[in-house]
Amino acid sequence: MTQLLRSLRKLVFGETWVVPLGVGGALLGSLLVRASVPAGAWHTAGGFVLAALVAAALVASLRAGS
Amino acid sequence: MTFVLTMSAATAAAGLEMLEALAIVLAVGISRNLRDALLGGIAAVASVLLLCAALGPPLLAGADLHFLRVVVGGFLLLFGLEWLRKGVLRVAGRRRRSSSYHEFLETRETLDEPGEAPVGGPDWAARLVAFKGVFLEGLEVGLIVLALGGAPGRLTPALLGAALALVLVTAVGVVLHRPLQRLPETQLKLGVGVALTAFGTFFAAEGLNVEWPLGDVALLYVAGLYAAVAWLGVRWLSPAAIRAPEPA
Repeated sequence: MTQLLRSLRKLVFGETWVVPLGVGGALLGSLLVRASVPAGAWHTAGGFVLAALVAAALVASLRAGS
Repeated sequence: MTFVLTMSAATAAAGLEMLEALAIVLAVGISRNLRDALLGGIAAVASVLLLCAALGPPLLAGADLHFLRVVVGGFLLLFGLEWLRKGVLRVAGRRRRSSSYHEFLETRETLDEPGEAPVGGPDWAARLVAFKGVFLEGLEVGLIVLALGGAPGRLTPALLGAALALVLVTAVGVVLHRPLQRLPETQLKLGVGVALTAFGTFFAAEGLNVEWPLGDVALLYVAGLYAAVAWLGVRWLSPAAIRAPEPA
């Protein structure tokens, strides 16, 4: 049972905590940027902010895994 | 275009997971008993389907649309980034390449250890190994399909993609295990990682009130961005490994 739960945790969150932390950080960072810039600017450019933060999370996970 | 992109991503992601499940069932079937392997596998598929049917619709129906997009996007980002991370490390030679054939061999070795299969009666060890393997791979298929189909209007292409993957993988299973060795799984998984991460970013941003320039075409340029980062990651971790051949 413990092994199955460990497998399920690995299935959802992955092998390391870097990826879930990175995803959480990217979403949280996007929320912070959204709250601090004009609504129009976020509306058109917010996606690129999120994409850049996700790319940074990928790089961080590669650094941790290398 | 979104229909085709969603269906393609679901087919590729579900297909790769189903291949791993197929490898486990084949290994159990060849090492012990095909009937017990199939029974374990079918029981696992039925359990996953029941679980998804019971939990999926209430989870997807009850939530606020913007919140749902962020949650769905978050899950796709979790899956996509993990596949992308592992794919880059594998292509760069930092970890063993992905291979359902290796999984097949490992499962056979595991089953060889407890001794001979019982003659005549049910082989519960074989059923359990097949059930556990197929259940875990199937659950991942279910989660990915639910996440891809979670956004409004995308459930049909996600389900069609998973159904197409099932047909393709069954066809591979019928032609025996040899093709498993020839599939470039590492590269395919890297590509699926790029696609899932792009979908995750797209949905999550929409949930945060973003309107993507050029609409659904954004999926392509966001995927291009992640593919470029992955390529740079491979170069950064091991420039010499870019042209490394897939092991036989």
